[in-house]
Amino acid sequence: MTRFKAVVVSLASVALGAIVIAVAGIALAHAQPRQDALVATNVGTSTITVDGAPQTVKHVALTIGAYPDSQFGTVFGKNGGAHPDWVAYTNNNLVVPENSLVTITVNQYDGGETLNNPYFGHVIGTMGGTATVNGAVVNHWDPDHVGHTFTLRGIPGSGRDIFVSVPIPPNDLVDVCDPAAPDASICAPQGTGYYPKDPVVVTFSFYVGSKGVYQWNCEYPCGATRIGQFGAAMSTYGYMSGTLTVK
Amino acid sequence: MNSTLEQHHAVGGGILRRLNFGTAAVSGVVFGFVAWALSHHFLDDSGQGFADQVTVLTGCGWVVGFLLGIGALTGPGKWFTGRDQNHADEMYLAGKDLGRKRYFQYTTDHKVVGVQYIIATMVLLGAGGILAMGIRTNLLTPGNHFVNQQVYNGFLGVHGMLMILGLIVAVAGPWANFILPIQVGARDMAFPRLNALSLWTLIAAMPLLLGSLAIGAMDMGWVTQGPISDQSGIGFDLFAMSIITFTISTTVAGVNTICTVLTMRTKGMTMERLPIFAWASIFAAGLGLYAFPFFLVVMALNLADRMVGTSFFIASGGGTGWLQENLFWLMGHPEVYVILLPAVGAILEIASVFSRKPLFSYRTVVGGMAGLCGLSALVWAHHMFTTGWAPTLGGPFMLTTELISIPTGVIFLVLLGTIWRGNIWMKMPMIWVFGFIVNFIVGGITGIYLSDIPVDNQMHGTMFVVAHFHYVFVGSVLFGAIGALFYWFPKVSGRFIDEKMGRISFWLVFVGTHVTFISMFVSGLRGMSRRYSSYAMIFEHTNFITTIGAYMIMSGMLVLLGAVITSWRSGEPSGPNPWGGKSLEWMVPTPVPLENFEVLPVITSDPYTYGEAKS
Amino acid sequence: MTSNDNQKNNLRQIFWIWLAITIFGVVVGIYGTPWLMPKAASNTMHLSVLTMVVFTVAAAPVAALVYSVVIVALTKWRYRGEGIPPDGPPIRGNSPVTSVWLVTSTLLTVFLLVWGLALLAVDNGTESKSEMTIDVTGQQWIWSFGYAGTQVHSHELYLPVNTDVKFEVTSKDVVHGFWIVQMGIKVNANPGAITTTAVTPNRVGTFDIRCTEICGLNHAFMVTRVHVLTKKNFDHWLATQPATN
Repeated sequence: MTRFKAVVVSLASVALGAIVIAVAGIALAHAQPRQDALVATNVGTSTITVDGAPQTVKHVALTIGAYPDSQFGTVFGKNGGAHPDWVAYTNNNLVVPENSLVTITVNQYDGGETLNNPYFGHVIGTMGGTATVNGAVVNHWDPDHVGHTFTLRGIPGSGRDIFVSVPIPPNDLVDVCDPAAPDASICAPQGTGYYPKDPVVVTFSFYVGSKGVYQWNCEYPCGATRIGQFGAAMSTYGYMSGTLTVK
Repeated sequence: MNSTLEQHHAVGGGILRRLNFGTAAVSGVVFGFVAWALSHHFLDDSGQGFADQVTVLTGCGWVVGFLLGIGALTGPGKWFTGRDQNHADEMYLAGKDLGRKRYFQYTTDHKVVGVQYIIATMVLLGAGGILAMGIRTNLLTPGNHFVNQQVYNGFLGVHGMLMILGLIVAVAGPWANFILPIQVGARDMAFPRLNALSLWTLIAAMPLLLGSLAIGAMDMGWVTQGPISDQSGIGFDLFAMSIITFTISTTVAGVNTICTVLTMRTKGMTMERLPIFAWASIFAAGLGLYAFPFFLVVMALNLADRMVGTSFFIASGGGTGWLQENLFWLMGHPEVYVILLPAVGAILEIASVFSRKPLFSYRTVVGGMAGLCGLSALVWAHHMFTTGWAPTLGGPFMLTTELISIPTGVIFLVLLGTIWRGNIWMKMPMIWVFGFIVNFIVGGITGIYLSDIPVDNQMHGTMFVVAHFHYVFVGSVLFGAIGALFYWFPKVSGRFIDEKMGRISFWLVFVGTHVTFISMFVSGLRGMSRRYSSYAMIFEHTNFITTIGAYMIMSGMLVLLGAVITSWRSGEPSGPNPWGGKSLEWMVPTPVPLENFEVLPVITSDPYTYGEAKS
Repeated sequence: MTSNDNQKNNLRQIFWIWLAITIFGVVVGIYGTPWLMPKAASNTMHLSVLTMVVFTVAAAPVAALVYSVVIVALTKWRYRGEGIPPDGPPIRGNSPVTSVWLVTSTLLTVFLLVWGLALLAVDNGTESKSEMTIDVTGQQWIWSFGYAGTQVHSHELYLPVNTDVKFEVTSKDVVHGFWIVQMGIKVNANPGAITTTAVTPNRVGTFDIRCTEICGLNHAFMVTRVHVLTKKNFDHWLATQPATN
């Protein structure tokens, strides 16, 4: 083989191979379930204390739900997807603008019991160190009576250091909303499931600084398997975990 | 005059005439489906282990069906029913006069099995390489922009396992099968049917491993630590089944290799006249026989925890993850020498031929390999220095690990001594040998850093470790395997792999290896943990460079693939002994006849008589 | 030139190349290694960095020997003719060289071992005396810290400088790896067991804690900070923390 032919065949091998690998890789990457982004809505401006100094920042809001199963909609597929009985948050792809005050409202439809680490019964990292539960201001919830948590953090050194953890109290009405025989005075259908008409509403706010990607997940053991109850829904991307992107 | 019955027997093969890779695949799918349906129907679906039980039984169904469908059990079956194989059957099984068909069947001819192993290695390393590209693309920038962390973690584990399997068979599979029997003067391996069994069992294991990625990956790295292995989805069950299947393949192959070298040497081939590749192969096979049963045991215990609720590795039930780690690394450390030794054996053969000099200090290198094998069984807990398992054993394991640097150094002594003042013939096989030497120094020395416990306390679980073992696996073993490919390809096909394309691929892979893994060392030194899907901003630049280097390695490997494919049909013809080698494989014609030798040779010296007058 | 002269020439060339590479390796070891590694925040880390430097300096002549032979092989001994080269000298072994090689590698190994054991003894000494204990809990995928003797917990670690701190580490679910990057200590967090490590932070600042055993989905995000404060500031911080247990 002449040197010229060797170079040509080499380039062709690389090009052909790169195309095959790229197609395979992108196909594999796209096979992962990807939810649409939930972009925070603008609710005005707010003056808050950032690092000791007062600052007027954009104020945005997000509302998500926490459900005892995945049948509340088609987020995971028809009829709740491959695991209709797995607990789930409604949106795992949250987007907020940089340098804004973010207010998150969690509509909680699921029950709960004991946290595996009582530390997460405390409200940490929010504005004022508090959250509101059905209108009442709290900074702590009984760790033996918690439904889920919303625990958010990033990789320190990439964007602002943020750590937020809020216990989401349980919705005790969930036990009477068995889809087989729902109590119509208390329960209402959403998607193919029945849930309490009145969610427990938890609201909290925190400041996000510069651009970055943060991960949030629930720290309450609501998954299956014997390992700390952190399998199944807790360990599968998108059910009880998600991303908060600061753009 | 032959009766019809005699004519029928004279043709030979029986049912094996109809069985091939296609029937095996179909049979495997059918049996797998039946196993799935039966287990789904009859097993209690309320238990936590139900999905795992169904998956494991389906995997068993696939393997059994596949092996039945390729005809692996026809031999024992016939013997059992009193109709043993006759000569015509055995000739058919050996692939006599079957042409290309024999590569897709249960063929016992060791040369066919060797070529089949080349293809199997390429599939394993190619699939692992595609996943490596996925991993590095995700790490091109921080933030999980390519895949989410769950997919990434799955890529990591399956990439690791595919590459480990591919490297275990990379040199031993093709060359301990094709070349080794000829090198010792035998007509075939000691157990030809087992030889075919080891290959087809490996092929049966491969879809299980790839399938684990498809059905809900196992996202805990290839070490599948207990207890997190209990938490994974059903992908882990297929992974474990593929490992258990693989250990059957490697055990069978190991027994075969050792028996062949010990019992089937031709007259005059004493153990001291064996080519060094034969020594390396039996040491590796013996070490594998010791080590891989641990792998089978640890996977079985993991499956038991998942399927029936035992608590071997689960603390809340009285078990401990330390048991899993010990069992795993009892396998895991000897296993890296199972991977390394055949490559070293090939490298030493090439070094001798391409320096035109005898192997330097034959007895020392055989002793060194023996020492390496012995010590490798005593060092496993250096993977566990930071687990908190047994702090008092830190000192002893540090001792044994540092002692292993002595036999490793012997390999360098012999390599350098063989090259010393030789007439260095810089053809492709030798170029890869020099690459091996350069890279193995880095890999070996960085291993010594890690053997020191205070340094390991800093470096364990960081990208420093990843760079260390990639310098050994990619920089040394892969270089050795590719060198072996360039060296023995003319024996297999009668053609050279194109030298010019070979050089292009070498430089891409060599430079790519350094770019990738030196920047990875820097990431690790600065504090980046391993198995991270995303990272802090301070690691951005080094990761970017690492990914570019990885793309370079992939380009080089693609060029190599192109070179092999084009050279197979239209490469420059080589003749039976293009390199002037003195070991027996170069004394037989190319293509090698079915029974290797017309007349079995009588040996009067080792194959390293360069520069010595014939006595 | 006779074969002996050739041999002497080769040895001389190898010596000079060996020297050049060794000097390069020693310089890289002494200046490059500490520059690449995080600035130490404890004596343990300082000793780790020192070990890396010493091992690199010790390895430099070994690597240099191999690389110098490779360079001479590629330049002086390379066969530049056509076809299969003629045979070289039939050197089947050299007992003095082999003996020197084996003895040297054994001595180097003994040196490495003695160095490592000495350092281990120093580090273990830190662990035996401790002025405060921190309970470290790893869980998927957060670290939380308890300050023994108080009701205070936090998700970022606070430590007083120049104090011997002992860590009692455990996990709530799977195995995690507790690593304080700039202090050079690492121990796994195992469910159902308590493992210990200890360190004395020797400078004020903010450092990193990273998980080093793959623990599932968000393993890459199991990262937090450690703040080393002056003793006065630490006591003040501890006193003003709400009881969070």
